[in-house]
This record gives sequence, C-alpha cells and structure tokens, in this order.
Amino acid sequence: MDVDRLPSDLEQWGTAVRRQLRFYLKTWRFLGLLLFVVIVGAASTVVTIYYHSSGTSASDAMYSGTTGIGIFGVIVGAFIGGDAIAMDFGSGTGYFMLVLPVRRVVLLLGRFAAAFLVSLALIGVFYAYTLLGAGWFYGLALPWLDTGASIGMAALFLLAILAVAFLFSSFFRSPAVSMVVTILVLFLGFDIVDGILVLTSIEPWFSILYAGGAIANIFESQPHLIVTQTMGPRGLSIHSWSPYVWEGIAIMVGYFVICLALSAFIYQRKESKG
Amino acid sequence: MTAPSIEVQDLSKNYNRGRPALEGASFRYEGSGAIGYLGPNGAGKTTTLKLLTGLLRPSRGSARVNDVDVLRDHKRALADVGAIIESPEPYPSQTVAEAIDMAGEFRAGRTGDLAAEIGELNTQLDLPPLGARCGTLSKGQRQRVSIAASLVRDPRVIILDEPTSGLDPKERILIRNLLNEKKRDHLILMSSHLMQEVTEICDQVIFINEGQIVLRDSVESVANRFQTRAVDVEFATPVMVDRIRGLGAQVGEVRVVGERRFRISFDGQPTTRAEILRGLVGLGPVLSYQSASLALEDAYLSLITSDTNGAPRG
Repeated sequence: MDVDRLPSDLEQWGTAVRRQLRFYLKTWRFLGLLLFVVIVGAASTVVTIYYHSSGTSASDAMYSGTTGIGIFGVIVGAFIGGDAIAMDFGSGTGYFMLVLPVRRVVLLLGRFAAAFLVSLALIGVFYAYTLLGAGWFYGLALPWLDTGASIGMAALFLLAILAVAFLFSSFFRSPAVSMVVTILVLFLGFDIVDGILVLTSIEPWFSILYAGGAIANIFESQPHLIVTQTMGPRGLSIHSWSPYVWEGIAIMVGYFVICLALSAFIYQRKESKG
Repeated sequence: MTAPSIEVQDLSKNYNRGRPALEGASFRYEGSGAIGYLGPNGAGKTTTLKLLTGLLRPSRGSARVNDVDVLRDHKRALADVGAIIESPEPYPSQTVAEAIDMAGEFRAGRTGDLAAEIGELNTQLDLPPLGARCGTLSKGQRQRVSIAASLVRDPRVIILDEPTSGLDPKERILIRNLLNEKKRDHLILMSSHLMQEVTEICDQVIFINEGQIVLRDSVESVANRFQTRAVDVEFATPVMVDRIRGLGAQVGEVRVVGERRFRISFDGQPTTRAEILRGLVGLGPVLSYQSASLALEDAYLSLITSDTNGAPRG
C-alpha cells in the first residue's frame, strides 16, 4: 500500500463522524430515545394546550416549555455517550478499530461529533413541540431571537453532558456498566449534590444541572433569581438559585473542555488488556 | 519504497507485580516472508503482537513497524499494517461490506476502487453475504470479515494472532492459501498453536516461553536441529516386537504404537535409518516407513518443557 495515501486527521475525523452517525442511527437506543422524546413532547404539548398553561406571554410559554430540556439533555447525552469509549475495551470492537492507522483522539472527536449531532436532533424534536405549544396561543409572535439563543445554550449543554458521559465511559471496560454509572451520576449524583446545597446556602455553580437552568432562563426578564424560603418550626432557610446566562455558559464550557480533554487523555493511554 | 519491516528492541511488559508477560524481546525482520510466533498459552505471544499494534504500552523497550515507533506515532507506524489481534468484532449494526469499507477508508480514504477490492476479497475469503449485518454472523464468519478488513488496501505488513482460531477446516485452507500467496511480497508475523499451519505457511519461526524468546531461526534449521530421531513403521502382517529389537545395535527403543505399527528410536543418521529399513523389510511386508512426527512439534515440546534448551537469540 502506498503510505502517501494515508488520509489526513481531518479526513479521518470526517470518516469517523459519518460511520458513527450511521452506527447510532441504526441502534435501538436511538429509536427508543426518539420515541421517548416524541411521546413525552407530544403529551406535554397536549397538556399545555388543554389546560391553557401557557403563561401570560410568549416568553413565559417558551420558558415553561424549555425548563425540561435539561433533563432531556441528560437522558439523551447519557444514553448516547455513556458507552462511547468503553465499547472499545469491553468487546471486540476495539480490536477491530484500534489497530487501524488512525489517532485515538481523532476517533474520539469523531464519535463525539456524531453523538452531539444525534443528541441535538433529539433535543430539536423537543424544541419543535415547545414552539408548537407556544405558537398555539401566540401565533408567530414568538421570541425567536431568545429561542435561537436557548437552542444554542441547549447545544452547549449537550456538549458538556456528552463530555461528562465520555469521561465516565473512559473509566470502565464494560459498556453496560459504563452507561449505567453515567446515568446514575448524571441523574442521581448531581441531583443529590444540588439538593444538599439548597440546604447549605452554597450556590451550586459547579453543577452541570444547575448550569442547564440557563437554557430556560434566557426567556426570563429577571434571569438570576435567588429565592429563599423559610420552612419548619426552626425556620430552616432553603435557597434556590437560577444561573445568569453567562454563568451557565461558563460552567458548561468548563465541563465540556475539562471532561473532553480528560477523556481524550485516558482514551489515548488506555490499554487493551485481557 | 523501503522494504516492510517489524522490529522490537528489548521489549518488555509488566501487567502487575508478578512475572513479566514479556521480557527483553528483540528481533527484526525485513522484506517479505512469513514468521511464525510459537509458544504455549500465556507465553507472551499476544502481548508482543498487542505492543506491535499499539494496543498495549511497553514497560520498557520499543516496537517499530516500517521503522516507525508504534508508541510515538501510532498512525504512521500502522499506516501499512493489517492486524488481527484476539477476536476483533466489527460494529454489530454494520454490514459486512460497510465494515471492510470502513477499514479501507481509514487506511486510504475514498481513493481507488474500494468496491472492486471488497469483491476480490469476497472471492478469496468466501465472505458471508456482503449485505449481512455483522451482529448476525457466526464466529468463523466474523473472523473472515475481520481478516478481509485487515487485508483491504493491501497493507504490506500483516500481523495475525492465531488467525484461524475458530475456523473450520475449509476456512483454514482458504486462509492458508491466501497467506501463502501474500507472503511472496508481504511481511507476515503470525502467532499460532497449530504446528501444521506454521510449517505450511512460515519461513522463519520464533519460539517464546514464559515471556522470553527461546529460539529464533528458519523453519528448516529448526526442523533439522530438532529432527525426530525416530521412525514409524507399519507392517502389512503382524510382527513380534522382539524381532525388531533383535535387528541389531543400531535399533534403540522400540514402542508399539498401534496394530502392526511401531516407533523405533535410532541415532538419527541417514545410514542407520536405511540399515534399519533393510532389516525391517526382512521381517515382513512394510506398508510405510517415515519420520515419527513434525519437527516443529518436537522443537516446541522440547523448548517449552526445558528452560535451558535453545539459547535466547533475540
């Protein structure tokens, strides 16, 4: 073979993206998630329309509709990216892929891009429903600019969630274990930490789920809220925060950069033992 | 274009605190041909091949393919390499054609007629239907798909870890014929447990035991060195074993190995062998008279049962 024909990293990245996209689109996991998003989005829209729970303005309607995006993002990201690296070490796929003349970081970035595109498409379905629900009451007079910004934030949120999922995936050899742990950490782990922080008066600026609140907060006129409630006979103070948009962006970028860099480092050094 | 080469220098791998899986292995092969890599389970064969393909990182030493260090520049080192290590599995949702096509695209992009090449491999390896999903294939079928993926774009260095493991006799013959054809202008390094296979394909052989290379030579030299000093004889009619023992001093130990079949030890000299045959013919009609077993098998057994047999030559 003529070694000069070896494709550049960029070309191989394109190959990895296309191949991984095809892989995702053929999996039951993708079809299941698509079905889930379609059904839940439809149900939510029907309930909104039926009960007229669309708020007092188009922005309110969009805010209500997009508050669930964070949870959807976590579900989609965890299921799509939860085994992205582990699959090379827990099955024979790695023996097929890792002996090819391609840098592991290129493979990883290709898989990441494919996972991002698939996740974004699924979240896009949810946005379509939200727009449908808001449009039912307010027609085309919707906050399009803020909607665009919210989609951008959701995309950034997905990048951060996928980076976390890829990082956890790099710790394990079994794809199934990797996916379960990723889902548990993203769902329960962050939620528990956030719950504790509510009681301790510490703003959870290091929580990815907290940052996800910025996706809906874009539609709010007063984006950074600190609500303090006093509860119980001893007057226990419970604080809840909503992040500034810039704060949300900073947290998401931080997670994206750090987790993706770490997962690339681990993937690069991980050995195919056993 | 330089000749294909494989080189390991003082290559060692420790998985944990126990005995090293590989210790100080060194060898270099350049040009075309087939090298058999032999040793018992756990000897360090797969570890060596994994180090050569970047699946493991060496504890010490280096592995180079086509004069490029695998650890330092994985992509360039494996640019002209096709490898089968352990049991590779294409993505289950991929079709046979997609899996081979993907390997080809990573090696050389979309240049050339990849479809025609896949068609040729299909003929050579009798692949399962190209539209079948890899997840639905049997182990043997998946192995042939992986072999096809390792050979697409015709890489000049082929590294194979027990390539016929899990294949039926017909499939083994296919692979053997293909490798015999490839070795004319490719460099093949293959591990195997099957002495017959190595004898039929390889020109050179490396024996490894307990992580150390114990012998490295041409198959012919090893065969000569470990030539069995025994012959098997089969008579057409029953013959008493004592009559064979009574043929003279040139006959060593005589063992009954079957009905009318005997194994006779001697000093290994061709003249003695001929003398014994003359005597046997006088005892009854001889149906067959041949060396007792495969020389490589003897070498293998001799080397792995004795640490002192054969000095490391790596």
